Amino acid sequence: MEQFFNVTLELLDGFGQNCTIFGMTLLMAIPLGLIISFGSMSSFLPLKGLVKTVVWIIRGTPLMLQLFVVFYIPSLVWGISFDRMTAAVIAFVINYAAYFSEIFRGGIESIPKGQYEAGQVLGMKKSQIFFKVVLMQVVKRIVAPMSNEIITLVKDTSLARVIMVPEMLKAAERFTVQGLIWPLFYTGVFFLIFNGALTLLFSFIEKKLSYYKG
Amino acid sequence: MLKVENIGKSFGKNEVLKNISFSLNKGEVLAIIGSSGSGKTTLLRCLNFLETPQKGKITVGNEVLFDSDDVNSRSDSVIRRKRLHFGLVFQNFNLFPQYKVIENITLAPSLMAKEQIRENGSYKGAASMKQAQKAIQEEAESLLRRVGLYEKRNSYPCDLSGGQQQRVAIARALALNPDILCFDEPTSALDPELTGEVLNVIKGLKSSDSTMIVVTHEIGFAHDVADRIIFMDGGLIEEEGTPQEVIDNPKSARTREFLARFNQFGD
Repeated sequence: MEQFFNVTLELLDGFGQNCTIFGMTLLMAIPLGLIISFGSMSSFLPLKGLVKTVVWIIRGTPLMLQLFVVFYIPSLVWGISFDRMTAAVIAFVINYAAYFSEIFRGGIESIPKGQYEAGQVLGMKKSQIFFKVVLMQVVKRIVAPMSNEIITLVKDTSLARVIMVPEMLKAAERFTVQGLIWPLFYTGVFFLIFNGALTLLFSFIEKKLSYYKG
Repeated sequence: MLKVENIGKSFGKNEVLKNISFSLNKGEVLAIIGSSGSGKTTLLRCLNFLETPQKGKITVGNEVLFDSDDVNSRSDSVIRRKRLHFGLVFQNFNLFPQYKVIENITLAPSLMAKEQIRENGSYKGAASMKQAQKAIQEEAESLLRRVGLYEKRNSYPCDLSGGQQQRVAIARALALNPDILCFDEPTSALDPELTGEVLNVIKGLKSSDSTMIVVTHEIGFAHDVADRIIFMDGGLIEEEGTPQEVIDNPKSARTREFLARFNQFGD
């Protein structure tokens, strides 16, 4: 019993790291993803091409590899090094911003042209049309794909162990080395509870937004 | 009050408008009829700055709104101010689905009031946002009464019929007091039994100081309401005149042919 208690505390400690990566990534990848999505819809072709290429590279290579790149390359090439947590957050933010940007782009492009035109003939500015007319409709349309990505993010945070961030799976592995195997499987419970709460949150948001159709 | 001179517009190689000129007096209702693809809608969209003509000139009152020879007239903020001379009611209503009926009407005036109070210190005589908001709200309610939908003010567009949505769209366009209100086939997306209520609202708007341009396939309605009718064909004005002239006694063979198709079905 005491062992179970100690293991739980130890794993919770590690899970704190997972939560930090999760929170920081969400906080920064959403606005960055929005900016990237504007870039990928830009009518200025060089910018559009550049953004599309970057998104292709980020989405086309493993997140684990990106973690290595962010952690090792700066110190190898320029002699500057991030601490492990910072490197992990940078890699996660870039990776998730690329995925989010495509969801945002799909959402924004799915809004009928007539909505923009209605705003225009009513004398609204472009920014007013986006924030007052389009954005809420986009949010409603992207809740489901975003919840998918965000739930994946929770689980992906355990990848940070490859650059020695002491997250939960890393902590569980320490017990494995000591001959204690069950904590490794026990980590699943933490993810399940966390994602269960997220699932409830997302269905709540979906319900909140169902007051209108269209 | 409105003068359109030599408007030309092409999409790639497709010349949709060829040298369109007409004028419109204050208080007049102009109906534009013609088959699909004749350029009616494009003409309306040019007037509302949703399309930029390649050539021509548009004047309202003494103000030149568009002149293809003057590139300066095309900056974003200039266009935003100029297009307010016109209101546009779309074929597909284009109401904002996430806003209640009343909010659909007050949104644009509220944003404008905020901007004008910040820049000039007042909006239509209201010095504070609170005052302006109150006036905007009252105006929106009276517009909703006018189109017979005051009871629906707190509904969402998705809970309204097509005809009701279009009436809200008309109220929304009126809320900005445009000099000229344009309708782009306002009943084409409606079930036949719903067109009547929308046409009646438009008829009810007709008065000595409301100037309207209606692109429509409802020939009977055009005959009843319009002071003047333009029949467009292939990007040109084929015939222009009073309803009696154009519909009852068309001179052009193309007009007769077009109208004959309508009369076939007993319209």
